[in-house]
Amino acid sequence: MTVLTPTVRQGTRSSLFWLATLVFVILAAIGSLLLVGASSDNVTLSPSNPAADGTMAVVEVLNQQGVDVTVTTSLAETGSAITDPASTTVVLHDPDQLLAEGQHARLLESADNLVLLDPGFIALQSLAPDVHAAGAPEPDVLVAGCALPAAVRGGEVSSGGSAYRVDADARAETCLRHDDDNDNDNDTFSLVRLDVDGVTVSVLGATEALTNGEITARGNAAFALGLLGEDESLVWYLPSVTDLDGAGDSAALTPGWLTPAILLLAITASAAALWRGRRFGPLIIENLPVMVRASETMEGRARLYQKGSARLRALDALRIGAIMRLATVCGLPTSASVEEVVLGVAGLLGRNPPEIRTLLVDATPASDSELVHFSDRLLELEAAASAAART
Amino acid sequence: MAVSGWFVALVAIGIAPIVVFADARALTGWLVLVIALAVLDLALAGSPRSVTLSREVPHRVRLGESVQSVLTITNKGRRDIRGIVRDGWQPSAGALPTRAPVSVPAAERRAITTTLTPFRRGERRAAHVTIRSFGPLGLLARQATIAEPSVIRVLPPFNARKHLPSRLARLRELDGATSVQLRGAGTEFDSLREYVRGDDVRSIDWRATARRPSGGNGQHLMVKTWRPERDRRVVIVIDSGRTSAARIANEPRIDTAFESSLLLAALATRAGDRVDTLIYDRRIRGRVQGATGAEMLTLMVNSMAPVQPELIEMDWSVVPALVSSVTSHRALVVLMTSVDAPGASRGLLSVLPQLTRKHLVVVASVTDPDIVAATRSRANRSEVYRAAAAERALLDTSRVSSAIRQLGADVVTGTPELLPPAVADRYIALKRAGRL
Repeated sequence: MTVLTPTVRQGTRSSLFWLATLVFVILAAIGSLLLVGASSDNVTLSPSNPAADGTMAVVEVLNQQGVDVTVTTSLAETGSAITDPASTTVVLHDPDQLLAEGQHARLLESADNLVLLDPGFIALQSLAPDVHAAGAPEPDVLVAGCALPAAVRGGEVSSGGSAYRVDADARAETCLRHDDDNDNDNDTFSLVRLDVDGVTVSVLGATEALTNGEITARGNAAFALGLLGEDESLVWYLPSVTDLDGAGDSAALTPGWLTPAILLLAITASAAALWRGRRFGPLIIENLPVMVRASETMEGRARLYQKGSARLRALDALRIGAIMRLATVCGLPTSASVEEVVLGVAGLLGRNPPEIRTLLVDATPASDSELVHFSDRLLELEAAASAAART
Repeated sequence: MAVSGWFVALVAIGIAPIVVFADARALTGWLVLVIALAVLDLALAGSPRSVTLSREVPHRVRLGESVQSVLTITNKGRRDIRGIVRDGWQPSAGALPTRAPVSVPAAERRAITTTLTPFRRGERRAAHVTIRSFGPLGLLARQATIAEPSVIRVLPPFNARKHLPSRLARLRELDGATSVQLRGAGTEFDSLREYVRGDDVRSIDWRATARRPSGGNGQHLMVKTWRPERDRRVVIVIDSGRTSAARIANEPRIDTAFESSLLLAALATRAGDRVDTLIYDRRIRGRVQGATGAEMLTLMVNSMAPVQPELIEMDWSVVPALVSSVTSHRALVVLMTSVDAPGASRGLLSVLPQLTRKHLVVVASVTDPDIVAATRSRANRSEVYRAAAAERALLDTSRVSSAIRQLGADVVTGTPELLPPAVADRYIALKRAGRL
């Protein structure tokens, strides 16, 4: 008995090459990924983003300068990262405005030195109520114009980002001024430092100065290091979805068996696929004959006639057939001429020979409806002739 | 290896412990249990490889009839085989059932009967047998495919044999061998016998009557009897080229040609003539020579069975040489081909004079009932154009037919149903006329 199905050992041996290839490809992919590395972080002003709009460069330099940088993504994490509020600078960058007022208040309680990068409306309301957003400034180089050490050391700073206006009666230190030529009271600033409930809050609008792309330009580097490196440790807080109200509750609502049940369902589905998909032996080959209907040439010719509107040719074909049958009906030989058939039919039916001749020979169909009409009349003529011949 | 529906159900039942314990460990535990059971089941399944197979199939079957194929499975392993068996026949062998449950205890054997009702002529093959052997729990199965080739030859149906009795009766009338006292219609002198009432008076042989001594009660009249010529040659040439593949009324032209040939051969061999058959396109696809009686029909259906039309043009130029290689005498040459368009029949028309010079030639061709029907239905524009094309096709056929008649050959046409009796009738008519 010749068994065609390979044994497990034979099957493994024959597919060994492909298995080895697959393993090699997977290993190579993992290796190259580890070697080259992949950064999926493309958040603007993120300390782990190496792109032009990230802030990886300044954070690395701060690290080298001995500042202890921690990146946090939730309020609780931030709270525990701040070990000593007095020697910690907290940077808050919340572009999606995920934090609510209460969370801002808690942040204010736990930190001593807070830097807000490009804060939104709610953040300004709750953390720096005297500061108001004033849109984007004219692209320009900003000059310190204040006594703040960082700004003074920087000298000139890139202007990209937002600007702020400060209430006239507020006790705030304003730097990086945008001059409004007409009205001195209407001036806007890109850095405002003020004291809120004993916490130093710095609102920084000129965030472009911190980015990897711009950090080496002008006095940006000195400005950034001065502003962020004031204390021994730096907590960079990027709020995430875990800070949202109600986050984490969905997990509490899910029953414990749901995930294993879904897994079981997937395993059942693959088992069912194996069950239905396993072939019961190989296919059996059979050469099938071609299937050609003999009338296909006729059908093709009919479509050609119709497509080309070959009315006269079609009608002539019908006439030839009719004349041959009429000749038989009239008792004429098949070799009889058309004139003989016309006369024979006219005599049989008692009609005018020219009328019959028009139908059988002369008339030309001008349209498809005329063609149908003539064909009907030919049928009538044949029927009449055979009826007359029978009586 | 194969998985059963029970295995899938067993995996699915795991939802119960998972919901009850509401824990991921329940899933792991269940899967371990299922895998353990499955491995045990697979280990206890009988080996589908340690079997011996033998298949008993009749050598031939007539198309449309059913035969039984018996597959015997001998279990040579140590464990019982319980499972399903698939006997791998080609689809057109019409095997039923396609898979059968089987239970073969160790060191025993069981037979599986498959009914074959082939629906195509030719050689139908079985390639292999697949056995799926389940374990005692019915969860997993071991599966193996074992080569076990067989072949059954499906012969042409010879449905036209229903016309044979009536034609044989007419042949006997021709022979003068019927109970009715008819004068033998042949031209060959057979015998002299006494006149009985009812004999044709024209066949009285006066010379023989005068020579016979008169008995007591008057003169006995003698009549001459004739019989048709015997030991004439009939050569049937069947065209297996491209045009014979076309289907008319869902039957290929070549099958109609086979039916006509079988009826003609059966008739002619009873009439005492010798029939030789050739199936030809560019090479000889089948040849039956020098056989007689029932043996000849068997040989004919056997040689016809595997022949399928080839998609090549028939080479008519060799046919005269082929016919003269069969017989050097004058013969009735029946060409089973198609009479279609003047272009396609040029090859046939060019060799006809060579054949008609020496032989009596009949060209048998199938006509399409669809075409005749199409000429009469002219309800709308498309149908009128279709009718015109059909008339054109009929005209082409009649032109080729008249060209064939001008070259001295005879044409027999008919629908697939009517062509075999028409050919037989033409043979009887020729015999009656003494033209063979």
